[in-house]
Amino acid sequence: MTTPPQASETFSAYDLLAYADKLRPQLGENFRDTIVNSLYSEAEAIARRAVHQKGDRRYDLDQRIDRIVTSPIFGLPIMLLLLAAVFWLTIVAANVPSQLLATALFWVEAQAAALFDGLGIPWWITGFIWHGVFRGLAWVVSVMLPPMAIFFPAFTILEDLGYLPRVAFNLDFLFKKAGAHGKQALTMAMGFGCNAAGVIATRVIDSPRERLIAILTNNFVPCNGRFPTLIMLATVFVAAAFPPAFASFAAAGAVLVVVLIGIFFTLVVSWALSRTVLKGQASAFTLELPPYRVPNIPRILYTSLIDRTLFVLLRALGTAAPAGAIIWLLANINVDGVSLANHVASFLNPFGLLLGLDGVILLAYIIAIPANEIVVPTMLMVYMGTGMMTDVGSYDSLRTLLVDGNGWTMLTAINLMLFSLLHNPCGTTILTIRKETNSWKWAGFSVVITLGLAFLVTFLTASLARLLGWG
Amino acid sequence: MENYALWLILALLLLAAVFLPRWGLRSLVRRRLAAQQRERVEDALKTALDQQWENRPLSLRGLADYLHLSEQAAQRLVESMQAQGLLSLRGSDLALTPEGERTALQVMRAHRLLERYLAYEARMPLEKIHREAHRMEHTLTPAQVNEMEAAMGFPSRDPHGDPIPSLSGQLPAGTSTLLTEWKANLPARIIHLEDEPPLAYAQILAEGLHLGQVVRILEATPERYLLSDGENEYRLAPAVAANISVEPLEETILTGEGILPLNELDHDQKAEIVSLDEACQGFTRRRFLDLGLTPGTIIFPELLNSFGDPRAYRVRGTLIALRKEQAAQIWVRPTTEASA
Amino acid sequence: MPTLKFNPDNCANCPANAQLAQMGVKIEAFDRVVALAGNPNTGKSTVFNALTGLNQHTGNWPGKTVTRAEGGFVFNHVSYKLVDLPGTYSLLSASQDEEVARNFILFGQPDCTIVVTDATALERNLNLALQVMEITDQVVVAVNLMDEARRKGMEVDTRSLSRDLGVPAIPIVARTGEGMQTLLMTMEQVISGAIKTRPRRVQGTPEFQRAVDELSPQIQRLLPQVANPRWLAIRLLDGDSRVQEALLSGELIELAGAQRRADTQFSQKIALGGRQ
Repeated sequence: MTTPPQASETFSAYDLLAYADKLRPQLGENFRDTIVNSLYSEAEAIARRAVHQKGDRRYDLDQRIDRIVTSPIFGLPIMLLLLAAVFWLTIVAANVPSQLLATALFWVEAQAAALFDGLGIPWWITGFIWHGVFRGLAWVVSVMLPPMAIFFPAFTILEDLGYLPRVAFNLDFLFKKAGAHGKQALTMAMGFGCNAAGVIATRVIDSPRERLIAILTNNFVPCNGRFPTLIMLATVFVAAAFPPAFASFAAAGAVLVVVLIGIFFTLVVSWALSRTVLKGQASAFTLELPPYRVPNIPRILYTSLIDRTLFVLLRALGTAAPAGAIIWLLANINVDGVSLANHVASFLNPFGLLLGLDGVILLAYIIAIPANEIVVPTMLMVYMGTGMMTDVGSYDSLRTLLVDGNGWTMLTAINLMLFSLLHNPCGTTILTIRKETNSWKWAGFSVVITLGLAFLVTFLTASLARLLGWG
Repeated sequence: MENYALWLILALLLLAAVFLPRWGLRSLVRRRLAAQQRERVEDALKTALDQQWENRPLSLRGLADYLHLSEQAAQRLVESMQAQGLLSLRGSDLALTPEGERTALQVMRAHRLLERYLAYEARMPLEKIHREAHRMEHTLTPAQVNEMEAAMGFPSRDPHGDPIPSLSGQLPAGTSTLLTEWKANLPARIIHLEDEPPLAYAQILAEGLHLGQVVRILEATPERYLLSDGENEYRLAPAVAANISVEPLEETILTGEGILPLNELDHDQKAEIVSLDEACQGFTRRRFLDLGLTPGTIIFPELLNSFGDPRAYRVRGTLIALRKEQAAQIWVRPTTEASA
Repeated sequence: MPTLKFNPDNCANCPANAQLAQMGVKIEAFDRVVALAGNPNTGKSTVFNALTGLNQHTGNWPGKTVTRAEGGFVFNHVSYKLVDLPGTYSLLSASQDEEVARNFILFGQPDCTIVVTDATALERNLNLALQVMEITDQVVVAVNLMDEARRKGMEVDTRSLSRDLGVPAIPIVARTGEGMQTLLMTMEQVISGAIKTRPRRVQGTPEFQRAVDELSPQIQRLLPQVANPRWLAIRLLDGDSRVQEALLSGELIELAGAQRRADTQFSQKIALGGRQ
């Protein structure tokens, strides 16, 4: 028995710690086990007294649903169908609002520009404000906002239902084979909403090594900001090859394939990382599958439509407006009779062609580094240059502009989808990675692997296509 | 004129490079030498302690061999250690002074705590931890060692089953027997896997034997030992078997019939958790406990998926998915009733 | 700030149900701090949103709230800062979220901690409640998801629960607002001392009990003002480095002193201020 320190002695915090150290060996090997065991048996006893089960209802609705959505046979098909359904819904429902918004906003642009001209304001001020800044905004709002405003709530409903942990459960085997943590599937799923959110979500992974893998590969799932690009390309190019009745299904299918390619690269890159720079043993993981909850639809709609819309609009103000301004300047400052935009684009063009893309697309990606939402608008604005052509609200006229006007082919569309899937994270995500890893090195590394892979894959597809005589 | 200035600056830079207090070449070399000296002293202490415990004499030449030093270097080392009051000479043999033994125990303490940390918290493969711990043990301050111990909840044994000395140098008591001295057919728990020599240790690990495993000797001949854990059989050369220590089982644990790892439990079969495997330590053990995977808890596999792994188990009203490797660390006894 | 209103119909037997004002993020000046603790997926964020009128995201997957969210509300003319802690199963492991939750309950000195529990998985949830009750006496247990429990044919006797735990247990359905008024009134009474809690403390093995009994008086001797010597004893025996550090740095002593002062100041404020 240990004697307690005498009352007369001076007694400091150190003495207290020393006394605890002396008492500790009396408690036996697994003190922690003992504490937790007694806590749980106490909790069990209290719960048993307080809870009474009426009737035998062991298999309730939750369990029946779970047996289906994680079933060895139907689990994966149901997952794919659900994803495809969300894409389809987005494609079908976003079409009309997009066109309406485009028509309205470009009408405003034309009217405002006319008004400025009428007031005798110099052409370059009118051009800069209305055909530059405002047009950048108009594009983002009309092309990007409707699909986002539909996809995001649909995705949030799945999240609030409690479906995402089931996805992680279904896919875990693949992640295990890739040497990744089981919850990486969960953080990947969060990436569909926003990659920066996905990167933050990796905090659920305790092992720093596996968390880094999850952070570095999160960008391989297309986020909400990139879906509109994929959807537009799928609609304009893939769907056009099908009879109108099936067009929307074909487009949804194409987006689904791109997403699956993204998951494939997530796994491959995780595998490669866990065998090279981030070598180590798999850490233990436990994944709770929470009970299903009825999502609070009004709140979700409210949150997605108000918060999300506001967020996108603000981000658009912050990025699309300056981007619009830059494009307008590039397109209107002439050197040797050719606009700067054309100079840069033709400088980038050989490299772009090598990747099955072109110089304008690369220029758009460079300008769009701060936010992925503005890639397509930027591209379109450069293609249209200073022209006053503003009626590109419908997918048909888009097709005309891209294919007939700028020589796009199916290869361009496919490679652009691949590039959009694989290229570097947006500015917000890069900053988030920097913050979460506390290192510019890893943030830089995430850019290097994604860009490297994007270049490599598009180059290979382009070469293969040319070898086979398509393209 | 300009040339002089240039040379002067160059000379100053050179001086700075050599004599700068923190980054200069001189202090770098000095620090490196001090670190090397500490490493040698500590290794010598450990060697002396090992020999003392095994009641073997340690000569100067023996020490030189253990540490891969020339005899002159060993001589200088011993002299400096004598001057510090760590070693004394008994005839031609080296012996630890009480102070030397105390210090040696602290080195051993750092080593074993590090091994435990590397194995259970950093999850480094077992065959690598000895070298890594050996490299790192000489760089830690006593405060760091104490913090590490507290963070792991004051463990008493390292991943090889060796006792970890406490801060005051005490060793937890335990009764262990060499496997080669154990009776055939009597189940025993592995409590120590000797990691020296590395070759034998690697062989033990390659066989799949691990700490906490319960085995019995099926056959012991001068050529080989045949062990079984009830499922797999393990063949070992007697020399390798001598590197394994075991202890008798307490009656309650794992001797009962029908106990199996959770991953082998049939789908929808209810079972009661008997214990967490002793190889399951550190963060994983704490997480399991916190999730309510405590002995006596009822658990059953409720969901499969397309790949068969992981499975989701219903425990205390919640569904928890575990991979096969984790489930294998939980021992359960099936109850008679089926869950459905 | 947009607000979601309580449905007054759900609070038929509340004496006064118009006393809650959601304050969103306007929490510069507040009288009291209340923490929300609980297991993952028990609806803590829903309770948080219902009280503050904020739109803290409520996704249904474990680990969603990793850091703590803060908001404010006014109830009966007293303004509260509400802190939504990460959902955890325990406060014992050293994972990031558990550290955040534990440190706030200990060092953030909330005036009251509401432990949100899932009525359909009580034993798992009570494990955490018992741990919180080791740290602080000022606890109210909110038994959430009562509707789910009913759907599953479970009857939860919150009176038995209150008696066994030694702290009030209030049945609620955070999604609809059912029981929230009662929860707030109980919280108010626990803070004011009108309800005296006597949290149940886990006994453990005889050796455990003996060691705790030997260490606790020494802690009281060193830190006479400290509110939870027993819990500190357990943490020191378990070798909790964060608590050891707080002890050595004097942080614990300061903490205990600070709590006393706040208590005396506030009881005057209540006496002067508008309690109808």
